[in-house]
Amino acid sequence: MRSLDADVCVVGAGAGGAVVAAELAEGGARVVLLEQGAYHDPDGFTASPPEMLAHLYRDGGQSVTLGAPPIALPLGRGIGGTTLVNSGTCFRTPPRVLERWAREFGLQLDEASLRPCFERVERALSVREVTPELAGENAAVARRGAERLGWSHGYLKRNARGCVGSGVCAFGCPTSAKQHTGITYIPRAAAASAEIVTGADVHNVLVERGSARGVRARLAGGDALEVRARDVVLACGTIHTPLLLERSGLRDSSGQRGRNLALHPATAGFALMDETVDMARGVPQSFYIDEFADEGVMLEGVAGPPAYAAMALPLTGERHARAMARYRRLAQFGLMVSDASRGRVRSIAGRPIIRYDLCPEDMSRFRIGLARMEELFRAAGAREVYLPLPEGARPHSARARDLKLMAFHPLGTARADARATHGVTDGDLAVHGVPGLHLADGSVVPSALGVNPQMTIMALATRLAFSLLGQAVPASNPSPAPPTDQRPTKEKEIACRS
Amino acid sequence: MISAAPWPQRTALRVLLALDRRPRGAMLLASVPLAEQAASSMLALGRYDDPDVGRALGWDARAVVARGRALRRAEGRP
Repeated sequence: MRSLDADVCVVGAGAGGAVVAAELAEGGARVVLLEQGAYHDPDGFTASPPEMLAHLYRDGGQSVTLGAPPIALPLGRGIGGTTLVNSGTCFRTPPRVLERWAREFGLQLDEASLRPCFERVERALSVREVTPELAGENAAVARRGAERLGWSHGYLKRNARGCVGSGVCAFGCPTSAKQHTGITYIPRAAAASAEIVTGADVHNVLVERGSARGVRARLAGGDALEVRARDVVLACGTIHTPLLLERSGLRDSSGQRGRNLALHPATAGFALMDETVDMARGVPQSFYIDEFADEGVMLEGVAGPPAYAAMALPLTGERHARAMARYRRLAQFGLMVSDASRGRVRSIAGRPIIRYDLCPEDMSRFRIGLARMEELFRAAGAREVYLPLPEGARPHSARARDLKLMAFHPLGTARADARATHGVTDGDLAVHGVPGLHLADGSVVPSALGVNPQMTIMALATRLAFSLLGQAVPASNPSPAPPTDQRPTKEKEIACRS
Repeated sequence: MISAAPWPQRTALRVLLALDRRPRGAMLLASVPLAEQAASSMLALGRYDDPDVGRALGWDARAVVARGRALRRAEGRP
Protein backbone atom coordinates (compact mmCIF):
# COMPACT_ATOMS: atom_id res chain seq x y z
CA MET A 1 0.00 0.00 0.00
CA ARG A 2 1.25 3.49 -0.89
CA SER A 3 0.76 6.29 1.58
CA LEU A 4 0.80 10.06 1.61
CA ASP A 5 0.56 12.57 4.43
CA ALA A 6 -1.10 15.95 4.18
CA ASP A 7 -2.76 18.64 6.19
CA VAL A 8 -5.84 18.34 4.01
CA CYS A 9 -6.95 15.62 1.63
CA VAL A 10 -9.42 16.80 -1.01
CA VAL A 11 -11.41 14.28 -3.04
CA GLY A 12 -12.65 15.49 -6.43
CA ALA A 13 -11.20 18.11 -8.81
CA GLY A 14 -14.37 19.80 -10.04
CA ALA A 15 -16.03 23.06 -9.08
CA GLY A 16 -15.68 22.55 -5.33
CA GLY A 17 -12.57 20.41 -4.87
CA ALA A 18 -10.28 22.32 -7.21
CA VAL A 19 -11.12 25.62 -5.50
CA VAL A 20 -10.56 24.26 -1.99
CA ALA A 21 -7.29 22.59 -3.02
CA ALA A 22 -5.84 25.71 -4.67
CA GLU A 23 -6.81 28.15 -1.94
CA LEU A 24 -5.54 25.85 0.81
CA ALA A 25 -2.27 25.09 -0.98
CA GLU A 26 -1.63 28.76 -1.64
CA GLY A 27 -2.42 29.43 2.01
CA GLY A 28 0.42 27.16 3.04
CA ALA A 29 -1.42 23.90 3.72
CA ARG A 30 0.02 20.59 2.50
CA VAL A 31 -2.70 19.34 0.17
CA VAL A 32 -3.28 16.02 -1.54
CA LEU A 33 -5.99 16.17 -4.22
CA LEU A 34 -7.41 12.86 -5.44
CA GLU A 35 -9.40 12.72 -8.68
CA GLN A 36 -11.10 9.59 -9.97
CA GLY A 37 -10.96 10.63 -13.64
CA ALA A 38 -8.10 11.68 -15.90
CA TYR A 39 -6.50 14.91 -17.02
CA HIS A 40 -8.06 15.72 -20.40
CA ASP A 41 -5.59 17.19 -22.86
CA PRO A 42 -7.29 19.82 -25.07
CA ASP A 43 -5.32 18.41 -28.02
CA GLY A 44 -7.65 15.43 -27.73
CA PHE A 45 -10.82 17.51 -28.12
CA THR A 46 -12.41 16.75 -31.49
CA ALA A 47 -15.68 18.76 -31.37
CA SER A 48 -17.47 15.48 -32.09
CA PRO A 49 -20.36 15.08 -29.62
CA PRO A 50 -20.39 11.26 -29.45
CA GLU A 51 -16.61 11.02 -29.11
CA MET A 52 -16.47 13.67 -26.44
CA LEU A 53 -19.45 12.27 -24.54
CA ALA A 54 -17.59 8.97 -24.30
CA HIS A 55 -14.33 10.68 -23.32
CA LEU A 56 -15.22 13.55 -20.98
CA TYR A 57 -18.41 12.39 -19.30
CA ARG A 58 -19.10 9.89 -16.57
CA ASP A 59 -20.68 6.75 -18.01
CA GLY A 60 -20.40 8.13 -21.53
CA GLY A 61 -22.90 10.87 -20.63
CA GLN A 62 -25.60 8.28 -20.15
CA SER A 63 -26.37 8.61 -16.47
CA VAL A 64 -30.12 8.64 -16.13
CA THR A 65 -32.64 8.94 -13.31
CA LEU A 66 -35.34 6.36 -12.69
CA GLY A 67 -38.84 7.74 -12.33
CA ALA A 68 -41.51 9.58 -14.21
CA PRO A 69 -40.17 10.73 -16.55
CA PRO A 70 -36.61 9.34 -16.73
CA ILE A 71 -34.16 12.24 -16.96
CA ALA A 72 -30.73 12.20 -18.61
CA LEU A 73 -28.15 13.52 -16.16
CA PRO A 74 -24.80 14.02 -17.91
CA LEU A 75 -21.90 14.65 -15.51
CA GLY A 76 -18.29 15.51 -16.26
CA ARG A 77 -15.48 13.30 -14.99
CA GLY A 78 -11.83 14.15 -14.65
CA ILE A 79 -9.73 17.18 -13.83
CA GLY A 80 -12.19 20.08 -13.99
CA GLY A 81 -15.20 17.84 -13.34
CA THR A 82 -18.41 19.18 -14.79
CA THR A 83 -16.86 22.65 -15.19
CA LEU A 84 -14.96 21.14 -18.13
CA VAL A 85 -18.17 20.39 -20.01
CA ASN A 86 -20.71 22.92 -18.76
CA SER A 87 -21.82 26.02 -20.63
CA GLY A 88 -19.80 28.31 -18.39
CA THR A 89 -22.80 30.30 -17.18
CA CYS A 90 -22.08 32.26 -14.00
CA PHE A 91 -24.83 33.45 -11.66
CA ARG A 92 -24.37 34.43 -8.04
CA THR A 93 -26.80 32.76 -5.64
CA PRO A 94 -30.05 34.75 -5.90
CA PRO A 95 -30.79 36.77 -2.71
CA ARG A 96 -34.24 35.20 -2.40
CA VAL A 97 -32.57 31.77 -2.19
CA LEU A 98 -30.15 32.93 0.54
CA GLU A 99 -33.09 34.34 2.49
CA ARG A 100 -34.84 30.98 2.20
CA TRP A 101 -31.73 29.16 3.42
CA ALA A 102 -31.58 31.40 6.50
CA ARG A 103 -35.29 30.91 7.18
CA GLU A 104 -35.61 27.17 6.56
CA PHE A 105 -32.13 25.80 7.20
CA GLY A 106 -30.69 28.28 9.69
CA LEU A 107 -27.74 29.09 7.40
CA GLN A 108 -26.02 32.43 7.99
CA LEU A 109 -25.05 32.99 4.36
CA ASP A 110 -26.18 36.44 3.39
CA GLU A 111 -25.17 38.45 0.34
CA ALA A 112 -22.69 40.57 2.27
CA SER A 113 -20.81 37.65 3.80
CA LEU A 114 -20.60 35.78 0.49
CA ARG A 115 -19.66 38.81 -1.62
CA PRO A 116 -15.87 38.50 -1.10
CA CYS A 117 -16.09 34.81 -2.07
CA PHE A 118 -18.01 35.54 -5.27
CA GLU A 119 -15.69 38.41 -6.18
CA ARG A 120 -12.64 36.23 -5.68
CA VAL A 121 -14.04 33.41 -7.81
CA GLU A 122 -15.17 35.80 -10.53
CA ARG A 123 -11.70 37.31 -10.77
CA ALA A 124 -10.07 33.88 -10.83
CA LEU A 125 -12.35 32.74 -13.67
CA SER A 126 -12.38 35.98 -15.70
CA VAL A 127 -16.17 36.18 -15.49
CA ARG A 128 -17.69 38.67 -17.91
CA GLU A 129 -20.82 39.22 -19.93
CA VAL A 130 -21.06 37.75 -23.42
CA THR A 131 -21.15 40.36 -26.18
CA PRO A 132 -24.02 40.27 -28.72
CA GLU A 133 -21.50 39.62 -31.52
CA LEU A 134 -20.07 36.58 -29.77
CA ALA A 135 -23.52 35.33 -28.75
CA GLY A 136 -24.40 34.77 -32.40
CA GLU A 137 -27.65 34.52 -34.31
CA ASN A 138 -29.27 31.92 -32.07
CA ALA A 139 -29.25 34.41 -29.19
CA ALA A 140 -30.39 37.17 -31.57
CA VAL A 141 -33.55 35.18 -32.34
CA ALA A 142 -34.41 34.87 -28.64
CA ARG A 143 -33.57 38.50 -28.01
CA ARG A 144 -35.88 39.63 -30.83
CA GLY A 145 -38.72 37.54 -29.39
CA ALA A 146 -38.16 38.76 -25.82
CA GLU A 147 -38.00 42.39 -26.92
CA ARG A 148 -41.22 42.11 -28.89
CA LEU A 149 -42.95 40.52 -25.90
CA GLY A 150 -41.44 42.96 -23.40
CA TRP A 151 -39.92 40.15 -21.33
CA SER A 152 -36.97 40.70 -18.99
CA HIS A 153 -33.79 39.33 -20.59
CA GLY A 154 -30.04 39.77 -20.88
CA TYR A 155 -26.73 38.34 -22.01
CA LEU A 156 -25.24 35.84 -19.61
CA LYS A 157 -22.03 36.18 -17.67
CA ARG A 158 -19.54 33.40 -18.35
CA ASN A 159 -16.12 32.24 -17.25
CA ALA A 160 -14.37 32.62 -20.59
CA ARG A 161 -11.34 34.47 -21.88
CA GLY A 162 -10.54 34.84 -25.56
CA CYS A 163 -13.66 32.95 -26.63
CA VAL A 164 -14.27 32.85 -30.38
CA GLY A 165 -17.63 31.10 -30.24
CA SER A 166 -16.62 27.57 -31.22
CA GLY A 167 -20.08 26.34 -30.20
CA VAL A 168 -18.97 23.18 -28.41
CA CYS A 169 -18.66 24.19 -24.72
CA ALA A 170 -20.27 20.93 -23.69
CA PHE A 171 -17.81 18.83 -25.72
CA GLY A 172 -14.44 20.29 -24.65
CA CYS A 173 -13.47 23.86 -25.52
CA PRO A 174 -10.96 23.58 -28.38
CA THR A 175 -9.52 27.05 -27.71
CA SER A 176 -9.18 26.64 -23.91
CA ALA A 177 -11.20 29.84 -23.64
CA LYS A 178 -13.53 28.46 -21.04
CA GLN A 179 -11.89 29.04 -17.69
CA HIS A 180 -12.87 25.74 -16.10
CA THR A 181 -11.19 24.71 -12.88
CA GLY A 182 -8.82 22.37 -14.75
CA ILE A 183 -7.00 25.36 -16.29
CA THR A 184 -7.50 27.90 -13.51
CA TYR A 185 -7.50 26.52 -9.99
CA ILE A 186 -5.75 23.20 -10.66
CA PRO A 187 -2.55 24.79 -12.08
CA ARG A 188 -2.54 27.14 -9.08
CA ALA A 189 -2.84 24.20 -6.72
CA ALA A 190 -0.02 22.38 -8.50
CA ALA A 191 2.18 25.50 -8.49
CA ALA A 192 1.62 25.76 -4.74
CA SER A 193 2.92 22.19 -4.33
CA ALA A 194 -0.39 20.37 -3.94
CA GLU A 195 0.04 16.70 -4.80
CA ILE A 196 -2.54 15.88 -7.47
CA VAL A 197 -3.30 12.25 -8.17
CA THR A 198 -5.54 11.25 -11.05
CA GLY A 199 -7.11 7.83 -11.47
CA ALA A 200 -7.68 7.57 -7.72
CA ASP A 201 -10.92 5.86 -6.83
CA VAL A 202 -11.61 6.69 -3.20
CA HIS A 203 -13.28 3.88 -1.36
CA ASN A 204 -13.76 5.24 2.13
CA VAL A 205 -12.95 7.94 4.65
CA LEU A 206 -10.67 6.81 7.45
CA VAL A 207 -12.27 7.55 10.81
CA GLU A 208 -10.40 7.26 14.10
CA ARG A 209 -12.04 7.92 17.46
CA GLY A 210 -14.93 9.53 15.64
CA SER A 211 -12.82 11.98 13.60
CA ALA A 212 -11.87 11.89 9.91
CA ARG A 213 -8.18 11.16 9.50
CA GLY A 214 -7.75 10.53 5.79
CA VAL A 215 -9.05 8.35 2.96
CA ARG A 216 -8.30 5.02 1.35
CA ALA A 217 -8.27 4.74 -2.44
CA ARG A 218 -7.44 2.39 -5.29
CA LEU A 219 -5.19 3.78 -8.05
CA ALA A 220 -5.79 3.14 -11.74
CA GLY A 221 -2.95 0.61 -11.81
CA GLY A 222 -4.52 -1.39 -8.98
CA ASP A 223 -2.32 -0.20 -6.10
CA ALA A 224 -3.95 0.83 -2.85
CA LEU A 225 -3.31 4.35 -1.59
CA GLU A 226 -3.85 5.68 1.90
CA VAL A 227 -3.79 9.42 2.52
CA ARG A 228 -3.58 10.53 6.12
CA ALA A 229 -4.66 14.07 6.83
CA ARG A 230 -5.87 16.38 9.59
CA ASP A 231 -8.89 17.37 7.52
CA VAL A 232 -10.73 15.69 4.68
CA VAL A 233 -12.83 17.57 2.12
CA LEU A 234 -15.14 15.50 -0.09
CA ALA A 235 -16.14 17.08 -3.38
CA CYS A 236 -17.16 14.08 -5.49
CA GLY A 237 -20.36 15.71 -6.67
CA THR A 238 -23.98 15.49 -5.60
CA ILE A 239 -24.47 11.92 -6.80
CA HIS A 240 -21.29 10.36 -5.44
CA THR A 241 -20.52 12.23 -2.20
CA PRO A 242 -23.44 10.74 -0.22
CA LEU A 243 -22.49 7.28 -1.46
CA LEU A 244 -18.90 7.73 -0.27
CA LEU A 245 -20.19 8.82 3.14
CA GLU A 246 -22.33 5.70 3.25
CA ARG A 247 -19.46 3.42 2.17
CA SER A 248 -17.37 4.89 4.97
CA GLY A 249 -19.82 3.57 7.54
CA LEU A 250 -20.55 7.02 8.95
CA ARG A 251 -23.70 7.38 10.97
CA ASP A 252 -26.39 9.58 9.46
CA SER A 253 -28.26 10.99 12.41
CA SER A 254 -30.33 13.33 10.22
CA GLY A 255 -31.64 10.61 7.91
CA GLN A 256 -31.14 13.11 5.07
CA ARG A 257 -28.09 11.58 3.40
CA GLY A 258 -28.84 10.82 -0.24
CA ARG A 259 -32.22 12.56 -0.04
CA ASN A 260 -33.48 16.01 -1.13
CA LEU A 261 -32.03 15.68 -4.62
CA ALA A 262 -32.93 18.68 -6.77
CA LEU A 263 -31.93 18.64 -10.44
CA HIS A 264 -33.18 21.74 -12.27
CA PRO A 265 -34.85 19.54 -14.92
CA ALA A 266 -34.63 21.11 -18.33
CA THR A 267 -35.73 20.72 -21.90
CA ALA A 268 -35.32 22.57 -25.18
CA GLY A 269 -37.38 23.50 -28.20
CA PHE A 270 -36.47 24.36 -31.79
CA ALA A 271 -37.80 26.83 -34.32
CA LEU A 272 -37.40 27.07 -38.07
CA MET A 273 -36.54 30.66 -39.00
CA ASP A 274 -36.45 32.45 -42.33
CA GLU A 275 -32.87 33.58 -41.83
CA THR A 276 -29.68 31.58 -41.47
CA VAL A 277 -29.03 31.00 -37.78
CA ASP A 278 -26.08 28.57 -37.76
CA MET A 279 -26.71 27.90 -34.10
CA ALA A 280 -23.26 26.41 -33.46
CA ARG A 281 -21.55 29.66 -34.48
CA GLY A 282 -21.33 31.65 -31.27
CA VAL A 283 -21.64 30.90 -27.59
CA PRO A 284 -24.30 28.21 -27.14
CA GLN A 285 -25.52 29.50 -23.79
CA SER A 286 -25.24 33.26 -24.02
CA PHE A 287 -28.70 34.69 -23.42
CA TYR A 288 -31.38 34.33 -20.76
CA ILE A 289 -34.97 35.36 -20.17
CA ASP A 290 -35.84 35.65 -16.47
CA GLU A 291 -39.34 37.08 -16.87
CA PHE A 292 -40.80 33.95 -15.25
CA ALA A 293 -38.04 33.25 -12.69
CA ASP A 294 -40.41 33.96 -9.80
CA GLU A 295 -42.66 31.22 -11.18
CA GLY A 296 -39.69 28.83 -11.20
CA VAL A 297 -39.10 28.96 -14.96
CA MET A 298 -35.87 30.20 -16.49
CA LEU A 299 -35.28 30.32 -20.24
CA GLU A 300 -31.65 30.01 -21.32
CA GLY A 301 -29.88 29.60 -24.62
CA VAL A 302 -28.70 26.22 -25.80
CA ALA A 303 -27.27 25.16 -29.15
CA GLY A 304 -24.77 22.86 -30.76
CA PRO A 305 -23.44 21.25 -33.93
CA PRO A 306 -25.65 19.10 -36.18
CA ALA A 307 -25.06 15.83 -34.30
CA TYR A 308 -26.10 17.42 -31.05
CA ALA A 309 -29.12 19.14 -32.63
CA ALA A 310 -30.18 15.93 -34.33
CA MET A 311 -30.09 14.11 -30.99
CA ALA A 312 -32.17 16.81 -29.26
CA LEU A 313 -34.63 17.59 -32.05
CA PRO A 314 -38.02 16.29 -30.85
CA LEU A 315 -39.10 14.80 -34.17
CA THR A 316 -38.82 11.37 -35.74
CA GLY A 317 -38.67 9.83 -39.20
CA GLU A 318 -39.26 11.98 -42.24
CA ARG A 319 -40.11 15.10 -40.20
CA HIS A 320 -36.77 14.81 -38.39
CA ALA A 321 -34.87 14.45 -41.67
CA ARG A 322 -36.70 17.41 -43.23
CA ALA A 323 -36.01 19.67 -40.27
CA MET A 324 -32.34 18.63 -40.13
CA ALA A 325 -31.95 19.37 -43.84
CA ARG A 326 -32.70 22.96 -42.80
CA TYR A 327 -30.34 22.88 -39.82
CA ARG A 328 -28.79 26.22 -40.79
CA ARG A 329 -32.14 27.90 -40.23
CA LEU A 330 -32.90 26.16 -36.94
CA ALA A 331 -32.85 28.11 -33.68
CA GLN A 332 -32.92 26.45 -30.28
CA PHE A 333 -33.70 27.65 -26.78
CA GLY A 334 -33.89 25.86 -23.44
CA LEU A 335 -36.05 26.04 -20.36
CA MET A 336 -35.04 25.07 -16.87
CA VAL A 337 -37.32 24.56 -13.88
CA SER A 338 -36.39 25.49 -10.32
CA ASP A 339 -37.77 22.25 -8.99
CA ALA A 340 -39.84 21.46 -5.92
CA SER A 341 -39.58 17.72 -6.71
CA ARG A 342 -37.06 15.83 -4.60
CA GLY A 343 -35.24 12.65 -5.48
CA ARG A 344 -32.95 10.22 -3.78
CA VAL A 345 -29.56 8.63 -4.49
CA ARG A 346 -28.76 5.12 -3.33
CA SER A 347 -26.14 2.57 -4.13
CA ILE A 348 -27.07 -0.84 -5.44
CA ALA A 349 -24.26 -3.27 -6.26
CA GLY A 350 -21.82 -0.37 -6.14
CA ARG A 351 -23.66 1.74 -8.72
CA PRO A 352 -25.62 4.88 -7.95
CA ILE A 353 -29.35 4.54 -8.45
CA ILE A 354 -31.07 7.89 -8.78
CA ARG A 355 -34.80 8.01 -8.16
CA TYR A 356 -36.61 11.22 -9.11
CA ASP A 357 -40.26 11.81 -9.97
CA LEU A 358 -41.56 15.09 -11.28
CA CYS A 359 -44.17 16.49 -8.86
CA PRO A 360 -47.40 18.12 -10.12
CA GLU A 361 -46.11 21.59 -9.23
CA ASP A 362 -43.06 21.16 -11.49
CA MET A 363 -45.19 19.61 -14.23
CA SER A 364 -47.25 22.78 -14.13
CA ARG A 365 -44.03 24.83 -14.44
CA PHE A 366 -43.07 22.86 -17.55
CA ARG A 367 -46.50 23.52 -19.09
CA ILE A 368 -46.06 27.24 -18.47
CA GLY A 369 -42.49 27.19 -19.74
CA LEU A 370 -43.31 25.32 -22.94
CA ALA A 371 -46.18 27.67 -23.72
CA ARG A 372 -43.87 30.66 -23.15
CA MET A 373 -41.18 29.10 -25.32
CA GLU A 374 -43.63 28.72 -28.20
CA GLU A 375 -44.74 32.31 -27.69
CA LEU A 376 -41.12 33.45 -27.76
CA PHE A 377 -40.33 31.69 -31.03
CA ARG A 378 -43.54 32.93 -32.68
CA ALA A 379 -42.80 36.51 -31.60
CA ALA A 380 -39.30 36.15 -33.07
CA GLY A 381 -40.84 35.23 -36.44
CA ALA A 382 -40.55 31.45 -36.43
CA ARG A 383 -42.03 29.67 -39.41
CA GLU A 384 -42.41 26.41 -37.46
CA VAL A 385 -41.92 25.57 -33.77
CA TYR A 386 -40.86 22.13 -32.57
CA LEU A 387 -41.62 21.74 -28.88
CA PRO A 388 -40.19 18.75 -27.01
CA LEU A 389 -43.54 16.97 -26.92
CA PRO A 390 -45.00 14.05 -28.87
CA GLU A 391 -46.71 14.94 -32.12
CA GLY A 392 -50.10 16.51 -31.47
CA ALA A 393 -49.47 17.20 -27.76
CA ARG A 394 -49.92 20.76 -26.56
CA PRO A 395 -48.15 22.43 -23.60
CA HIS A 396 -51.29 22.90 -21.48
CA SER A 397 -52.16 19.19 -21.67
CA ALA A 398 -48.63 17.75 -21.49
CA ARG A 399 -48.07 14.85 -19.10
CA ALA A 400 -44.85 13.90 -17.36
CA ARG A 401 -44.33 10.95 -19.69
CA ASP A 402 -44.56 13.29 -22.69
CA LEU A 403 -41.51 15.28 -21.65
CA LYS A 404 -38.01 14.75 -22.98
CA LEU A 405 -35.90 16.01 -20.08
CA MET A 406 -32.27 16.46 -19.21
CA ALA A 407 -30.74 17.86 -16.04
CA PHE A 408 -27.34 19.35 -15.41
CA HIS A 409 -27.47 20.67 -11.84
CA PRO A 410 -27.87 17.92 -9.22
CA LEU A 411 -27.95 19.45 -5.73
CA GLY A 412 -28.84 18.75 -2.12
CA THR A 413 -28.08 15.10 -1.26
CA ALA A 414 -25.98 16.04 1.78
CA ARG A 415 -27.71 19.28 2.49
CA ALA A 416 -26.45 21.91 4.87
CA ASP A 417 -28.64 22.68 7.84
CA ALA A 418 -27.61 24.27 11.10
CA ARG A 419 -29.48 21.49 12.92
CA ALA A 420 -27.82 18.07 13.03
CA THR A 421 -31.26 16.47 12.99
CA HIS A 422 -32.12 18.06 9.64
CA GLY A 423 -28.95 18.21 7.59
CA VAL A 424 -25.76 16.29 6.82
CA THR A 425 -23.45 19.30 7.19
CA ASP A 426 -23.64 22.50 9.17
CA GLY A 427 -23.48 26.00 7.72
CA ASP A 428 -19.67 25.79 7.59
CA LEU A 429 -19.94 22.60 5.52
CA ALA A 430 -18.57 20.43 8.33
CA VAL A 431 -20.26 17.03 8.48
CA HIS A 432 -22.37 16.92 11.65
CA GLY A 433 -20.82 14.63 14.24
CA VAL A 434 -17.58 13.85 12.34
CA PRO A 435 -14.84 16.33 13.25
CA GLY A 436 -12.38 16.94 10.42
CA LEU A 437 -14.77 15.98 7.61
CA HIS A 438 -16.14 18.63 5.26
CA LEU A 439 -18.08 18.68 1.99
CA ALA A 440 -17.58 21.12 -0.90
CA ASP A 441 -19.83 20.33 -3.83
CA GLY A 442 -23.43 20.62 -4.95
CA SER A 443 -24.54 18.06 -2.39
CA VAL A 444 -24.51 20.69 0.38
CA VAL A 445 -26.74 23.15 -1.50
CA PRO A 446 -30.01 22.74 0.41
CA SER A 447 -32.50 23.80 -2.24
CA ALA A 448 -32.87 24.38 -5.95
CA LEU A 449 -31.28 27.69 -6.94
CA GLY A 450 -33.19 28.47 -10.11
CA VAL A 451 -29.89 29.42 -11.75
CA ASN A 452 -26.77 27.54 -12.82
CA PRO A 453 -24.95 26.48 -9.62
CA GLN A 454 -21.22 26.52 -10.38
CA MET A 455 -20.63 29.95 -8.82
CA THR A 456 -22.54 29.03 -5.67
CA ILE A 457 -20.47 25.85 -5.28
CA MET A 458 -17.20 27.70 -5.90
CA ALA A 459 -18.09 30.54 -3.52
CA LEU A 460 -18.99 28.09 -0.76
CA ALA A 461 -15.75 26.18 -1.44
CA THR A 462 -13.78 29.43 -1.17
CA ARG A 463 -15.45 30.19 2.13
CA LEU A 464 -14.63 26.70 3.41
CA ALA A 465 -10.98 26.93 2.34
CA PHE A 466 -10.36 30.19 4.17
CA SER A 467 -12.26 28.93 7.18
CA LEU A 468 -9.90 25.92 7.33
CA LEU A 469 -6.96 28.30 7.01
CA GLY A 470 -8.38 30.37 9.85
CA GLN A 471 -8.37 33.48 7.67
CA ALA A 472 -10.90 35.91 6.27
CA VAL A 473 -11.42 35.76 2.50
CA PRO A 474 -9.00 38.40 1.19
CA ALA A 475 -10.18 41.27 -0.97
CA SER A 476 -6.98 41.11 -3.04
CA ASN A 477 -6.85 39.41 -6.42
CA PRO A 478 -6.29 35.66 -6.40
CA SER A 479 -3.05 34.38 -7.87
CA PRO A 480 -3.10 34.22 -11.66
CA ALA A 481 -3.01 30.75 -13.16
CA PRO A 482 0.67 29.89 -13.78
CA PRO A 483 1.66 30.44 -17.42
CA THR A 484 3.50 27.15 -17.61
CA ASP A 485 1.71 23.90 -18.05
CA GLN A 486 0.92 22.68 -14.53
CA ARG A 487 -1.21 19.74 -15.52
CA PRO A 488 -1.14 16.82 -13.10
CA THR A 489 1.19 14.59 -15.05
CA LYS A 490 1.71 10.87 -15.05
CA GLU A 491 5.00 11.66 -13.32
CA LYS A 492 3.09 13.10 -10.35
CA GLU A 493 1.11 9.95 -10.09
CA ILE A 494 4.20 7.80 -10.44
CA ALA A 495 5.97 9.91 -7.83
CA CYS A 496 3.14 9.30 -5.48
CA ARG A 497 3.30 5.59 -6.02
CA SER A 498 7.05 5.21 -5.65
CA MET B 1 -20.11 6.14 -26.52
CA ILE B 2 -22.43 3.23 -25.91
CA SER B 3 -19.45 1.18 -24.75
CA ALA B 4 -18.75 3.83 -22.10
CA ALA B 5 -22.24 3.50 -20.62
CA PRO B 6 -22.95 1.35 -17.56
CA TRP B 7 -24.11 -2.13 -18.48
CA PRO B 8 -27.87 -1.64 -17.96
CA GLN B 9 -27.97 1.38 -20.32
CA ARG B 10 -25.50 -0.25 -22.70
CA THR B 11 -27.60 -3.37 -23.00
CA ALA B 12 -30.86 -1.45 -23.33
CA LEU B 13 -29.47 0.84 -26.02
CA ARG B 14 -28.08 -2.06 -28.05
CA VAL B 15 -31.41 -3.81 -27.93
CA LEU B 16 -33.25 -0.62 -28.94
CA LEU B 17 -30.89 0.03 -31.84
CA ALA B 18 -31.20 -3.55 -33.04
CA LEU B 19 -34.99 -3.27 -32.95
CA ASP B 20 -34.97 0.06 -34.74
CA ARG B 21 -33.06 -1.44 -37.68
CA ARG B 22 -35.78 -4.02 -38.39
CA PRO B 23 -39.21 -3.11 -39.77
CA ARG B 24 -41.13 -5.16 -37.21
CA GLY B 25 -38.86 -3.94 -34.42
CA ALA B 26 -39.42 -0.35 -35.49
CA MET B 27 -43.18 -0.91 -35.40
CA LEU B 28 -42.86 -2.31 -31.90
CA LEU B 29 -40.75 0.66 -30.81
CA ALA B 30 -43.30 3.10 -32.23
CA SER B 31 -45.75 1.86 -29.62
CA VAL B 32 -43.36 2.88 -26.83
CA PRO B 33 -42.56 6.56 -27.50
CA LEU B 34 -39.84 6.79 -24.85
CA ALA B 35 -37.97 3.83 -26.31
CA GLU B 36 -38.42 5.08 -29.87
CA GLN B 37 -37.09 8.47 -28.84
CA ALA B 38 -34.02 6.97 -27.19
CA ALA B 39 -33.24 4.83 -30.23
CA SER B 40 -33.79 7.56 -32.80
CA SER B 41 -31.75 10.10 -30.79
CA MET B 42 -28.82 7.72 -30.63
CA LEU B 43 -29.00 6.91 -34.34
CA ALA B 44 -29.29 10.60 -35.24
CA LEU B 45 -26.28 11.44 -33.11
CA GLY B 46 -24.15 9.01 -35.08
CA ARG B 47 -25.56 9.87 -38.50
CA TYR B 48 -25.08 13.65 -38.20
CA ASP B 49 -21.62 13.32 -36.66
CA ASP B 50 -20.33 12.25 -40.08
CA PRO B 51 -17.92 15.01 -41.23
CA ASP B 52 -19.43 15.10 -44.74
CA VAL B 53 -22.96 15.41 -43.38
CA GLY B 54 -21.80 18.15 -41.01
CA ARG B 55 -20.05 20.11 -43.76
CA ALA B 56 -23.16 19.95 -45.94
CA LEU B 57 -25.00 21.63 -43.06
CA GLY B 58 -22.38 24.37 -42.60
CA TRP B 59 -20.48 22.74 -39.72
CA ASP B 60 -16.85 21.76 -40.08
CA ALA B 61 -15.62 20.15 -36.86
CA ARG B 62 -12.08 19.80 -38.17
CA ALA B 63 -11.86 23.51 -38.94
CA VAL B 64 -13.20 24.39 -35.48
CA VAL B 65 -10.61 22.15 -33.82
CA ALA B 66 -7.78 23.42 -36.04
CA ARG B 67 -8.67 27.03 -35.23
CA GLY B 68 -8.72 26.18 -31.53
CA ARG B 69 -5.33 24.52 -31.62
CA ALA B 70 -3.81 27.38 -33.61
CA LEU B 71 -5.16 29.92 -31.11
CA ARG B 72 -3.88 27.95 -28.15
CA ARG B 73 -0.42 27.67 -29.66
CA ALA B 74 -0.26 31.29 -30.83
CA GLU B 75 -1.41 32.74 -27.51
CA GLY B 76 0.18 30.22 -25.15
CA ARG B 77 -3.14 29.05 -23.81
CA PRO B 78 -3.22 25.83 -21.78
